[in-house]
Amino acid sequence: MSSVDVTVWLPLLALFYVAVLLYWARVAVRQSEGADGFFSAGHAIAPWISALVIAGASLSSWFVLGGSRQIAETGFQMPALLVAGIAIALPGVVFFKRLWFVAERLRVSSQADIFRVYYQSPFLVVVSTAVALLFAVGFAGLQMRAVAEAVTLLTDGAVSQLAASVVLGFVLFAGVGIGGIRAIAYFGVIQTVLVFTSIVTLAGFALLWSGGFGALNSGLLALSASPEAASGFLVDGVIHFTAGLGRAGEAEGASTAVANLSLALAFMGFQASPLALKLVLSTRSPNGIAAGQTWVTAGFFGGLVVFAVTLIGVAGLLDKGLTLDALFARLQSQSPWFAAWIFIGIVAGVQLLAGLALFAAGEGLVRHVYKPYFNSRLSKTDAVTLTRIAVAILAVVAMVMQNLTPVTLSALAAVALPAAFQLWTPLLGVTWLGWITRPAAMTGVGFGLAGVVLTEPLGYEILSFFGLELPWGRWPWTIHSAAWGMAANIAAVLIISAITNRKALSAEALEVRKLFAGALSVGKKARGLRATAWSVALAWFFLATGPGLIFGNAAFVTRDGETMTWLLGMPSLWAWSLAAWVSGLGLVWFLAYKMEMASPVHVEIPPYTPPRRLETDRSTVEQERVRTLIITGAAGFVLAVLTAFSFGG
Amino acid sequence: MSKPASVERDLLVFSIWAVLGLGGLAFLLEGFARDSYLVSLAGVVTIIAGFVAHIVVNGVFGCSFKPGEAALGIGVFGVLALVFIAGWASGGLSQNDYWSGLTLFAALGFGLPIYLSTRYGLRGAFSRFHLKPADSGKPNA
Repeated sequence: MSSVDVTVWLPLLALFYVAVLLYWARVAVRQSEGADGFFSAGHAIAPWISALVIAGASLSSWFVLGGSRQIAETGFQMPALLVAGIAIALPGVVFFKRLWFVAERLRVSSQADIFRVYYQSPFLVVVSTAVALLFAVGFAGLQMRAVAEAVTLLTDGAVSQLAASVVLGFVLFAGVGIGGIRAIAYFGVIQTVLVFTSIVTLAGFALLWSGGFGALNSGLLALSASPEAASGFLVDGVIHFTAGLGRAGEAEGASTAVANLSLALAFMGFQASPLALKLVLSTRSPNGIAAGQTWVTAGFFGGLVVFAVTLIGVAGLLDKGLTLDALFARLQSQSPWFAAWIFIGIVAGVQLLAGLALFAAGEGLVRHVYKPYFNSRLSKTDAVTLTRIAVAILAVVAMVMQNLTPVTLSALAAVALPAAFQLWTPLLGVTWLGWITRPAAMTGVGFGLAGVVLTEPLGYEILSFFGLELPWGRWPWTIHSAAWGMAANIAAVLIISAITNRKALSAEALEVRKLFAGALSVGKKARGLRATAWSVALAWFFLATGPGLIFGNAAFVTRDGETMTWLLGMPSLWAWSLAAWVSGLGLVWFLAYKMEMASPVHVEIPPYTPPRRLETDRSTVEQERVRTLIITGAAGFVLAVLTAFSFGG
Repeated sequence: MSKPASVERDLLVFSIWAVLGLGGLAFLLEGFARDSYLVSLAGVVTIIAGFVAHIVVNGVFGCSFKPGEAALGIGVFGVLALVFIAGWASGGLSQNDYWSGLTLFAALGFGLPIYLSTRYGLRGAFSRFHLKPADSGKPNA
């Protein structure tokens, strides 16, 4: 094969990709009318587009890049990864429908808006924006870095990682900055379809080069018989009371059942994040939510993870020449057209997530923080312009961090999902548990975030900077930070809700409660199934991601003396995960349709008209706020420097 | 067709060709590189599947190929035909490459009249090409 053949396809397809992106950005701009079109697409995105794009952003490239690598390194120790399709789909079933109606009633279009209107809490607005920032800079940035590294690999070093990340960042800004949420949704359809095809094709090559499914599993069986690799086919007990990674709790012993359960909880943060809700609240009808969450996210993409992504990982586990990077390198040398097509698909998936995150973060900074608290006179047009600038700055920050501070980037990325998971309590307060009070929701989130940060490297790196050494490391007792945070979160919410006035609701919150008690109240049949739903859900979590995984270690294995046989011709935990995925799909369907948590509803929701309030000039207060912010920031900085200088290492 | 419906239809068309068009092309090239007629045939079948999917989408949205799509399709067909003829003339095609190319052009060549005749009927399909002078909107000289 000539060198032209090898090098021409990637730039050719990349150019094609950029051309299509710009075309759809143009279509989006032409369709948008004013600022509302940029921020919420006039609430006119078709339900099928929304369902597809949410699934693509929830479960695509980051699973190929992260999940397949983890399986290639550690085997089947973390089956929660394999059933992530279900864990990721569940929050959407619980929240999306009700939040859509809240947004429709109150005429808002983002998570931060809902928190501002329902709880009237600047703290929750800032947290929502901060979570979007974590996704934009850390979570998506880390994947952009992985993609930039792969570009260098595919071009044999001709394109440096820096150049690749600059180009990728620029392309990202071009799509998001020009077209807003409509461009993200439109182009997201193509990105999702591309990434889906890429994953399937890549899995096909991995299978082909592994010698087929039978040969792959024979190899795995032989591998599982070797004492040093056998641990890769087992969940290592229920819990280990270690001090955490980096504090005598090493990675090999960290794959316990509770580690799996808490990882599944972390996955459940994604659809509670402002990213997924941005898309949901820009959709014209909630009637695609049940189908989208059940069949597209849990069914289709969940199946993709448990089959295709696992296959890619397993091929790498068996043969280091078939790990993700090695697969790309081999494809590039043997079939550069396939390599380019597959790679562009993976890039598309990463860019979908990154674009959505950048947009949510940019909007959060400008529309939810700057405008309401610092410059209420900002016009809608100026808000769009400022958001574009914010998106550009964030893209540059992410790009700089990808190249200069990868460790910090990784630390920030690690807290994105667990931090988003802490938003479950305020979201539950809005949607299902009206007794969660404003102070309880705020304190719960605060405690939850503290729990997350203190059990992740970000926390102990910050504290170490100030001279404080935590006695534990990452994920003490092999419990993921998402669960530590949620334990603190729930404790705070329960205690504070019990001791504060549960009837002290804002007018808007009362409207929401009336809405759920009236037109959207749960039917009699569904109410009668509540106990069943709780039992089924808890049983699924126990068996599929919790302590029940111990049964999966040997459920499909027979032993005859020294000889071990896999009853289904595949590792027991893989078969267990397949069963968990199928039963999980049933669970999602049951909750979405039978429990009416996401089922279609055909009711007209008139917009809420707030009581007229006297418009006052807030410029003096806002200027005062800016001054306070600057003084507090400066004082905090000085204190931080002094503390670090006095006690820091 | 309303504007949102038109956008949704275009999205589906783009998605179809991003997957089946590019995938078919990749299989075709793989077939040429490996000198395997079967792999090339998979590419041809994938491209035909792309056309079928495009026609199904058109059917769902109650429309036909847009002028731009038809022009692009004919243009790509022309470029591929030129490349094939150039390859044949320079003697760079193996037996398998030759048959792969012929299969693609035969499938596309026969596919067009079959599509037109199923959509417009045999007589109507002919009328798509046979434009009377009056159709141009100008008076006869």
